[in-house]
Amino acid sequence: MLQIESLAKSFSGFQAVGDASLSVPRGQVVAVIGPNGAGKSTLFNLITGHIKPDAGRIVFKGREITALPPHQVSRLGVARSFQLVNIFPRLTVFENVQVAVLARLKQSGRLFTPARRLVVQETFEVLHKLGLKTSSDRICSSLSYGDQKVLEIAISLGSSPELLLLDEPTAGMSPEETRTIVQLIKQLSQREGLSILLTEHDMDLVFDVAQRIMVMHQGRTIAEGHPAEVRRDRAVQNAYLGETG
Amino acid sequence: MSVSMLASQLLVGLSRGMIYFIVAAGLTLVFGVLRVINFTHGSFYMLGAFIGYSVAAGIGHGSAGFWLMLVLAPLAVAGISLLVERGFLQFVYRREHLIQVLLTYALVLIAGDLVKFFWGSQYRSLSTPPIFTGSFATGSITVPKYNVFLLLVGPLVALGLWLFLSHTRFGKICRATATDREMVDILGVNSTWIFAAVFALGGWLAGLGGALMAPVVNISLGMDANTIIYAFLIVVVGGLGNIWGALISSLIIGVGEAFGALFMPDWAVVLPYIITGVLLILRPSGLLKSVW
Amino acid sequence: MSMSWLDRSKEKTARVIPFRPILLVSLLGVAALLPPILPAYYLYLLTTVYMTALLATSLNFVLGYGGLLQLHHAVFFGVGAYTVALVLTKTTWPFWLAAVLAPLVAALLAAVIGWFCVRLRGLYFGMLTLALGQLVWAIIYKWRSFTSGDDGIHGIPLPGLVSSPTSVYYINLGVLVVCLLILYAVIKSPFGLTLVAIRDNPVRSQSVGVNIKRHQLAAFVLSGFFAGAAGVLFVLIEQSVSPSLLYWSKSAEILIMDLLGGMAVFLGPSLGAAILVVLSMVVGTYMDYWLLVMGLILLLLVLFLPQGVLGYLQELFGRKTVQGGERDAAN
Repeated sequence: MLQIESLAKSFSGFQAVGDASLSVPRGQVVAVIGPNGAGKSTLFNLITGHIKPDAGRIVFKGREITALPPHQVSRLGVARSFQLVNIFPRLTVFENVQVAVLARLKQSGRLFTPARRLVVQETFEVLHKLGLKTSSDRICSSLSYGDQKVLEIAISLGSSPELLLLDEPTAGMSPEETRTIVQLIKQLSQREGLSILLTEHDMDLVFDVAQRIMVMHQGRTIAEGHPAEVRRDRAVQNAYLGETG
Repeated sequence: MSVSMLASQLLVGLSRGMIYFIVAAGLTLVFGVLRVINFTHGSFYMLGAFIGYSVAAGIGHGSAGFWLMLVLAPLAVAGISLLVERGFLQFVYRREHLIQVLLTYALVLIAGDLVKFFWGSQYRSLSTPPIFTGSFATGSITVPKYNVFLLLVGPLVALGLWLFLSHTRFGKICRATATDREMVDILGVNSTWIFAAVFALGGWLAGLGGALMAPVVNISLGMDANTIIYAFLIVVVGGLGNIWGALISSLIIGVGEAFGALFMPDWAVVLPYIITGVLLILRPSGLLKSVW
Repeated sequence: MSMSWLDRSKEKTARVIPFRPILLVSLLGVAALLPPILPAYYLYLLTTVYMTALLATSLNFVLGYGGLLQLHHAVFFGVGAYTVALVLTKTTWPFWLAAVLAPLVAALLAAVIGWFCVRLRGLYFGMLTLALGQLVWAIIYKWRSFTSGDDGIHGIPLPGLVSSPTSVYYINLGVLVVCLLILYAVIKSPFGLTLVAIRDNPVRSQSVGVNIKRHQLAAFVLSGFFAGAAGVLFVLIEQSVSPSLLYWSKSAEILIMDLLGGMAVFLGPSLGAAILVVLSMVVGTYMDYWLLVMGLILLLLVLFLPQGVLGYLQELFGRKTVQGGERDAAN
């Protein structure tokens, strides 16, 4: 589904990502782990086109998407959710998702049809899937933090992606809320057949949901493989797992 | 068209650019540190000219009046801008850009009518002081003495600003605030008095620009509107908040305008806008690095 | 850039109030009945209000809903007016052609200016609109042989059908209503929803697949079109044009109207335009210091009522509903 080959990016001399490689097979959950500052967020930004790489290739479904602008990457079927809550705060829950659905169906430019009559079905489907249907009329900045993170994922699903990038989906969440997210990730991957690439600090979660793990350290890929292999990897233990205990 | 004519026009353009720089430097400094688009800057310039007129006319049109005006007018304007900052601006720092723009624009309207109230709506003019009347002639190049004076003052102000910003504690704090706001809070510097002082310094520069221009222009209502637009263009072209960018673009626009007046006098007014447009299209974020 | 007083959610509150459409239709009915009973001066005043309301609303489309810091909107207004004036004085083309051409020319100019501006964000966007707008002003100001320069063009010949004060009144009212309905429909359309989404969160909009530059450019062109239409109305009312129509301080005046009425409410700018037009005429006849008055009004607004008059009224009203309560929690 997604292949990344020796991607590199520096910011004014500081190498944020250097020689990162990764592959996400169709329908699998892949986790990128690594200490803070390992370059995980930069890697995500490179994949979605928010930042252009200095070197390397990104291939999605056999097509090179390196350095495409974000809206085109999105239209090809890559959606992301953000580490911090990144929603449209003054729109309703429904409208938040609707914006994404409209963009996917290339309806964003329609000038005279009332928006509330368009793509209602598709939008409710997503809301229903994530249990947000009852709050669809609420202004989303009035939702709880956990619900906002769920909405964050809902917006991404509104693009009906084949590959979903989740940047620390459970950051700042209560254990209860975290369990909901874990359920959600499993559901999306197993029932919907979605490929998911995520970063996460919660190791229990990572080893629970991921079929493959890639470990980043100082911008480089130092290991990639099945969770069990990664757990055994000496370099990983030294670089990362050892440090955090 | 002789070479000497071009050369003297170049000098006139450079001296005009220096005035633009003095005014624009204040604007860009306020941009950089306070992050406020200050439309009132043009009014400060106008006030500098009017107050300068009153001082010089009060003393008599001699040299003493001129020098005193150059000292007093900018100081008075700095005082006024300090009042403006403490009285109004400090309440909108956390608000949207648009609100800040409109607040400073409200002050433009008020200042305009106050000037009309105190000085009336007919225009005033000052003569150049005796020591600067006439022209310097070197070979076949002739330049009015007053322009030569401006050519000296401009770099002096630039040098002063540079020394101030890079060699004083206050200046360093200003630059730090311009590049990274949180830094200053972390350093434990009280940003309130920095903002006030920078705004007053900006006002001082605008007032100085107005006072320096007073002997060579018609001092009139409406001189604020033209000046503020020019200053904006210069600041944007130079890179928001970057004083050296403002210096370069001031000189480009001053010289461009002077040559425009020579080659196509009817279109001299359009030229600064064309220069700005072209420069912005080539370098949308300014000639030098913006601090934003 | 966050603009917290631009809150679309208030419109939701308004939708549950059944008498709002009734109120608007009755207002319209009253407006339609006024010409026979109103003295000429007040008729002229109202006509000017309608024209200005369209201008202010066209700005608010990009400013309030699009979140674009458009600092020089008057350019499109002035270019629309100049297009009509030049066509009617320099060609033998009929009036209707001039009236159709004007908004299109304004939209074309908006496409050119917007093409450069949408590459920039926030303040830089605003500065570039200002610079390019002033360039257009300078050209019209200086191109004496074509535009008559700072003299302006006066006594523009209008066909008899559109030159009586009563017919001008009805044309202004009709054009205002039609244009506002169109703009309202656009705001409620997917295009409008996406525009608001971009304003709220450009990065996120991009990552759900919205081409934000193209979208903002389209909005910019649309708002230029309606400003051009207001320019046509101006010529109908005044039968003259001058470069001051597109000087930057005119743009500032339109900004003040939007802020005064309230940028989060669709009809806010119209109310702001009405207040400012009426005030300027009333105050202008009694004293020399109209700008001082306008400055003080603006100062008070900025410091104490940034949501605008209509925004404030809706807030007062909205508190009573469930949605209003939610909104308070949201802020």
